[in-house]
Amino acid sequence: MKILVIEDEVNLRETIVAFLEEEGYCCEQAGNLELGSEKTNLYEYDCMIVDIGLPDGNGLSLVKELKKRHPETGIIIISAKNSLEDKISGLDLGADDYLTKPFHLPELNSRIKSLLRRRKFEGRKEICLDKIRILPEDRMVYVQSEPLPLTKKEFDLLVFFVTNPKRVLTKEAIAEHLWGDFADSSDSFDFVYSHIKNLRRKLLEKTGTDYFQNVYGTGYTFIGEA
Amino acid sequence: MKLQNKINIRFSLITLLVFSVAGLYFYYKLERSINHNIKEMLASRKGYVMLYLRQHSPTDTVIVSPDNSIFIKTVPKIEPYQRFSDTLIFDEDEKELAPARKLTFSYAVNENYYEVIITQSLLESDDLQKIIFYFMVALFVVVLLALSILNRWLSASAWKPFFNSLSLLKSFKIGENSNIQFDKSGIDEFDQLNEILNGLIQKVQADFINLKEFSENASHEIQTPLAIIKSKLEMVLQDKTLTDQQHRQIHAAFESAIRLSKLNSALLLLSKIENRQFVETENIDIIELIKSRLEYLQELIELRQLEVITQFEGEFVVNINPVLAEILINNLLSNAMKHNAEHGSIRIVAGNDEISVCNPGLPLTIEPSKLFERFVKHKTSGDSTGLGLAIANEICKSFHLTLRYEYRENLHCLILSR
Repeated sequence: MKILVIEDEVNLRETIVAFLEEEGYCCEQAGNLELGSEKTNLYEYDCMIVDIGLPDGNGLSLVKELKKRHPETGIIIISAKNSLEDKISGLDLGADDYLTKPFHLPELNSRIKSLLRRRKFEGRKEICLDKIRILPEDRMVYVQSEPLPLTKKEFDLLVFFVTNPKRVLTKEAIAEHLWGDFADSSDSFDFVYSHIKNLRRKLLEKTGTDYFQNVYGTGYTFIGEA
Repeated sequence: MKLQNKINIRFSLITLLVFSVAGLYFYYKLERSINHNIKEMLASRKGYVMLYLRQHSPTDTVIVSPDNSIFIKTVPKIEPYQRFSDTLIFDEDEKELAPARKLTFSYAVNENYYEVIITQSLLESDDLQKIIFYFMVALFVVVLLALSILNRWLSASAWKPFFNSLSLLKSFKIGENSNIQFDKSGIDEFDQLNEILNGLIQKVQADFINLKEFSENASHEIQTPLAIIKSKLEMVLQDKTLTDQQHRQIHAAFESAIRLSKLNSALLLLSKIENRQFVETENIDIIELIKSRLEYLQELIELRQLEVITQFEGEFVVNINPVLAEILINNLLSNAMKHNAEHGSIRIVAGNDEISVCNPGLPLTIEPSKLFERFVKHKTSGDSTGLGLAIANEICKSFHLTLRYEYRENLHCLILSR
């Protein structure tokens, strides 16, 4: 899977690239609109991550251009501006997703995976992990062909963990994934805890395996081989 | 007080003073001059009387002139003297007592002694003074009238450019109609004033735009390094070789970076609301909005074991920006959740004019009047930004709603009303 990261801030770009390369993606990077446009002309990518505020122009123009030339490429916009207009116009131009800076890297990862699943396999792709089989489009989970009933939040939580296995997912990243802007209250960590407790129990009962590992009270890791 | 009235009163007072002083001075001068004349007249008549007495040496005991103005009396030996005095005489023409000047003197001719009284009516001079007084009063009234006519004319013509500028300024709203055009008045002072106002307005507009751009840019510039800090720390947190201690410290830094970024976006939002940057509005039924937000929050509410009691009647439709409406309701609901008691409740009562969101909880540790100020935090509310209610209040202010706090039946209530 090839991903192009267009972001003018070197530090952020390199962190994103490093994170995605660890995930096994092949990453290319560009620091401005011109270079980004050149790369999209020369190569085909499965996914493009583009910042809106670039030094030599607005990333939205590249979204428009790319959508014409390679409509199959998935596009995720990242922006420091949490403005509704930008979000709407970006999605109207054909971007698949919109993330506001600062975002959690596992969140970005989860969005890329979901995007690639939708684009490459028309949404029918299953996520398999040990005995667990997840059908994201149907929002169904099976453990050894037996359906596992989960609440909406537990399902979201499981997908988030399964797409980021073996990583430390901080309570903050989890809370933000589940509740977005509502994650600002400190109680939301209690809710994260209680959701994880329930999910952990349900998975343990069905599979006999404890997939979750506490990490020094700061977060959780999902242990399991995809 | 209107400028015109103020000027009129001052001017009338000064005119009155000038007229009084001038009138008094005039009166005094005139009186002195009249007195002098009368004295001279009396003296000259005295000369005639003395000539008459020298020539005729009358022996009658009393001689009276036909107009009663001269009275000569023969007296025994007397020392020569002369005395002026005031008296009243009966004026035949006017049929009334009139003030008069009297000269009494003695005279001796050939061993005959006479006492002579010469009187001169002051009636004419009195009339003269009256005429002067009435004239002054009439003149004063005429001057006042002229002044008020002048003022009316001035405000209609000469002050017109001033009032034009004033109405232009009244209609001026910062950030909206950015150009205000003052007409040339042809009056130096007003043109100067307009020029200065123009300069000030342009400066204010430029500052306003700068500030708006600054807050946007500052937020952008702050969010990017924060995103780097966050992502770098997130990467470090993945490191399996970290000790427990290191992990905790990095996580604390990570937490603070998240808080900072939330604070930053909340402040940005607040300044955007204050700068009236959310212009698009829609008619939104706040009650429907509350219902949908409650549904969204249901899980969090259940987890906190809170009971939601709602009583919805009528509709509360407001012309408001949809994004801000959602933020307003979110902030009110999350405030009620955050500061709730153990196993507490959220009571929402909504009607056509008022929506109250109430929750039990610890007594306020801050003044209720300061509840809507920035960075005012309840002691127990740990890591909240202290901006939630400030934002809610600011949203209300910009859409002609009011938000107030009340303590009712052991419940903290935030009441939203039109």
